Amino acid sequence: MSSVVSEHLCKRFGDLEVLQDINLTIQDGEFVALVGPSGCGKTTFLRTVAGLESADEGGIFLNGKRVSGPDRDRGFVFQNDSLLPWRNVFDNTVVGLELAGRMSPDERARVTRLLELVGLAGFEKYFPRQLSGGMRQRVNLARALAIDPKVLLMDEPFSALDAQTREIMQTELQRVWEEGRKTVLFVTHQIDEAVFLADRVLVFARRPGRLLEDIKIDLPRPRTMMTKRQPEFVALVDRIWRLIEKDVRESVLVEHV
Amino acid sequence: MSTAPSIAQPRNSSVLAPSGEVTKQPSSPSGPRKPARAKLRPYQISLLSVVSGLLMWQFLSDVVIANPLFLASPLEVVRAVITLAETGELWRHVGASALEFALGYSIAALLGIGIGLLIATNDFAKNWLQPWISGFYATPTIALGPLFILWLGIGVWSKVVVVVLLVVFAVIINTEAGIRSTSERYLEMMRSFGATPRQLFVKVSLPSAAPFILAGLKLGIGRGLIGVVVAELFGSRLGLGRMIGASADSFNMPELFAAVSILAASGIAMNSGFSYLEKRLVPWTKD
Ligand SMILES: Nc1ncnc2c1ncn2[C@@H]1O[C@H](COP(=O)(O)OP(=O)(O)OP(=O)(O)O)[C@@H](O)[C@H]1O
Ligand SMILES: [Mg+2]
Repeated sequence: MSSVVSEHLCKRFGDLEVLQDINLTIQDGEFVALVGPSGCGKTTFLRTVAGLESADEGGIFLNGKRVSGPDRDRGFVFQNDSLLPWRNVFDNTVVGLELAGRMSPDERARVTRLLELVGLAGFEKYFPRQLSGGMRQRVNLARALAIDPKVLLMDEPFSALDAQTREIMQTELQRVWEEGRKTVLFVTHQIDEAVFLADRVLVFARRPGRLLEDIKIDLPRPRTMMTKRQPEFVALVDRIWRLIEKDVRESVLVEHV
Repeated sequence: MSTAPSIAQPRNSSVLAPSGEVTKQPSSPSGPRKPARAKLRPYQISLLSVVSGLLMWQFLSDVVIANPLFLASPLEVVRAVITLAETGELWRHVGASALEFALGYSIAALLGIGIGLLIATNDFAKNWLQPWISGFYATPTIALGPLFILWLGIGVWSKVVVVVLLVVFAVIINTEAGIRSTSERYLEMMRSFGATPRQLFVKVSLPSAAPFILAGLKLGIGRGLIGVVVAELFGSRLGLGRMIGASADSFNMPELFAAVSILAASGIAMNSGFSYLEKRLVPWTKD
């Protein structure tokens, strides 16, 4: 059974062709990372899977059903955490369940365990302004997991974090994922982050945004900090970097003109 | 990972949590512990300011402008307040003004929030009402006071209308601005969780507009007090404005200043009440 399928997906914003004929299949329980130069349409692709954007041609299919809008079978983890400042950690985490009218004592207990899982036990009553960036992203993640989605969509969730926190969050995410084995689509700019986390890395190219290469990552799990020093790891990062180097240079130049 | 809430730290200080993450600690109620040197708390500074202002006033009226027809000293004002309170006259004036203010302010608050929410969510209503709102807000409607007395008599309701007119537009404008400034990020996040338009409004727009609405209501206090006094000056039998008018006519400075001081005190009291409410209801806006 396949989980997420993109079939001839095209997306335009006015005259700008952002996504051109994206065809791919993501298996159930697979962790897939998306990398590519800035502006190649990674966010747009993720938002289309989430149902926040509609396809111009083709479409996204979830277990064979066409995606027509946002639903609680997909959980979105936002780049900016978008925590509601008037809700504490617990109330922010249950917001999806609340919207669905699923607020039983059982669910509450499950959310408490979930907050434990992401390392936030004891912080339930804290407000977003009292948390560090890393903790806020943990809430962001827990909030998406709380609705128990089939697919987790993550758009550069760690990009606002400092380097050390980021490394820790990568290991943490891997651990959380091992517990539930959800299908994950993870957008990142950092190639080593993609290789470290993913079963597969999809490399996008820009102008127009399209799938350039689909690279299988066969490194054994669980991966640790040591994994990042292994020659296989380094070789993979190198290979991906060479794929997008030219594009990245162009996009940087374009953005600075 | 074993981060746990740790002991109270000074506001905004950063500590390295066990995980290596930089953790911002919530402020402790006792505030930062500064080294010895005595430092005045904010309210102490304000208190000191008021006391020195009163002393200055006393000095001015005793020494510089020692003319009871022009200025009453704070002590004379206190005496006047006590006398008026004993005869019961004060309470009748205060009661009348308080009633007018309470009625006008409550009506304006309900109406203002209602209309504000309406025009923030309905474009037809917005376009229909906007010219009137802008027009009335910019017009010194208080000048219409005599007209309302003509129409409604010199009783309570002519004053209530003036208060409503002065307060309501500030509330409308703030409420609308609050709803419209709702962060698209939050709305989008809630949409991704399948929120309905109604849920978006109740769970995102309303809470994020709350600080604005409170600010509008707070702004309305001063405007409402002005409305009461000026409307009463135009014509009334009772009220603090009436008291001010009458004592000015008879050069009774202590009574005039007594009325003004009571107005000032109630304005300050209501404002601090609102500041307290803001801290309780919308703590996330204060940092
Ligand atoms: N709502 C929109 N309206 C118009 N153009 C848009 C919109 N959203 C995105 N775009 C354009 O589509 C292109 C792809 O944007 P997208 O955000 O998907 O890129 P990205 O790969 O996520 O980039 P980054 O890595 O910088 O986040 C960009 O050129 C962007 O300007
Ligand atoms: Mg993006």
